Amino acid sequence: MGVVEILILTAIAAVLGRVRRGRPLALMLVSALVIYWLQPKTAPWDFWLPTLSLFLTLLGWAITTPPETRRLPENALSLAVLLGTLGAILLSARFFPEETPFTSPVSLRRFLPILSGFLVLLIGISLPNRSPRLLPPGLILLLLAIFLVLKSPSLTERSMALIGALLTSNPDGTPAPLPWLGFSYLAFRLLHTLRDRQAGLLPPVTLAEYVNYAIFFPSFTAGPIDRLERFVKELRSPLPFQPDDWLSVLQRLTTGLFKKFVIADLLALISINDRFVFQALAPGWLWLSLASYALRLYFDFSGYTDIAIGLGRLLGIRLPENFNAPFLKPNLTQFWNAWHITLTQWFRAYVFNPLTRSLRAQRALPDALILLIGQVATMVLIGLWHGLTWNFALWGVWHGLGLFVQNRWSEFARVHFSSPDIHPWVQQGLRIGGTLLTFIYFSLSMAFFALSTPELAFTVFLRLLGLA
Amino acid sequence: MMHDSIQQTLSSFIAERILKQPKRTIRPDEPLISSGLIDSFSLVDLALFVEDTFGVHIADTELNASTFDNLEQLSQLILSRKAA
Repeated sequence: MGVVEILILTAIAAVLGRVRRGRPLALMLVSALVIYWLQPKTAPWDFWLPTLSLFLTLLGWAITTPPETRRLPENALSLAVLLGTLGAILLSARFFPEETPFTSPVSLRRFLPILSGFLVLLIGISLPNRSPRLLPPGLILLLLAIFLVLKSPSLTERSMALIGALLTSNPDGTPAPLPWLGFSYLAFRLLHTLRDRQAGLLPPVTLAEYVNYAIFFPSFTAGPIDRLERFVKELRSPLPFQPDDWLSVLQRLTTGLFKKFVIADLLALISINDRFVFQALAPGWLWLSLASYALRLYFDFSGYTDIAIGLGRLLGIRLPENFNAPFLKPNLTQFWNAWHITLTQWFRAYVFNPLTRSLRAQRALPDALILLIGQVATMVLIGLWHGLTWNFALWGVWHGLGLFVQNRWSEFARVHFSSPDIHPWVQQGLRIGGTLLTFIYFSLSMAFFALSTPELAFTVFLRLLGLA
Repeated sequence: MMHDSIQQTLSSFIAERILKQPKRTIRPDEPLISSGLIDSFSLVDLALFVEDTFGVHIADTELNASTFDNLEQLSQLILSRKAA
């Protein structure tokens, strides 16, 4: 998203936040339009990818909602509004193909049978009293399979070429692969509802509430990843907006814009990339370029989060915080509790905790080994979420090992050096040293994160030490 | 089991087994998770201990500061689930 898009969304949020009657429906309609608008404009993906996002969301709702809530009449109205929005988008593309901001023209001959098939499936899932038990794991597997395809460039290219040939009228023009805007975050939200439904922990919500949760436009493209029960509570009783709140919202939005478009963009100029490795830079410059990359990542992403939270607040919804001054934390564990908080909480809830619990329950492995497996597996998965490459896997191993070693050290230090014996100055010194060490450790991991191959990353490590 | 004795049992478990500081006492309102006193690994330990000792299940998704962050909140959670 660029500055212009953000300003337009701010104006929309400011107006929409004042709507009192029919609020969830209005919000859902606008979010649906925004996801088409923001998807990069290349046919046929600019229509099909947002439409698939909506289909997956509707399936998620039908599968996770108990029958008595599914049958509420208001859900039929919400579905009609959503289909009407889709119809309006299609009409705008047919009659104003040059002017419409939503999508390129779509072949109705291909879309209408798919839409009809989908609606039959949706109604088939929604009507019966008892849903098959295989549905939640089925959708979980489908979401994970899409993840796998999207995160591996060669699989994305091959599958998009295949699907593109089926969807477009012109078999010669295979469209280029495109990013599926917001899919990762949508999938995290849907997976959370599916797993919680399996555990019997998910509160029943209406179709409009679920769709709003899944595609809420301020957080659609890059989070934060809220939890359904928290989001819906705020949607049902939005925070009142006082005249004074304008100041705090404007502050949050301008801070976000400044972090993202000024600080992060400036840091990008000196942040490490493949070319830096080939240029014979002095070790000092390489250290600086790694630190710049770490800082740029923070300012870019936390700036984006500020904007999302500011927009959410205009709409009466307090989105969860994603960052809590991570670079001021004195150790890696606290760093990871303060960096991309909603993502790490998601992985803790759905990967680390269940894995640790099942390993503990078997009582076959020593505690330290269970901790090591849990930390490394979780961090490698977080790494691979960025892309299925060796570099991201190594980045995950780096952080998993770092967390393990830091945990063991803390445990040792807690038993052997209890804090009352240590002079406050020494404690302060240790804290500052820990903060610096954590920042350096994270910055070094940027060699895996920013460069394209492990060889380049290891070359950088040697150069940093003046060895290559 | 009464509220105070639940707190006492939890306090001794956390001090001895998690913090490895048997002499330490934990105040009922002392933040456990948000302060970093109990890390994510030990949190799973605590959940297993609660399950074994009080017969109350705390789900993986509930192991965070918004479900409970001190002994008072945790013992209330245990009592409310035992009553349910």
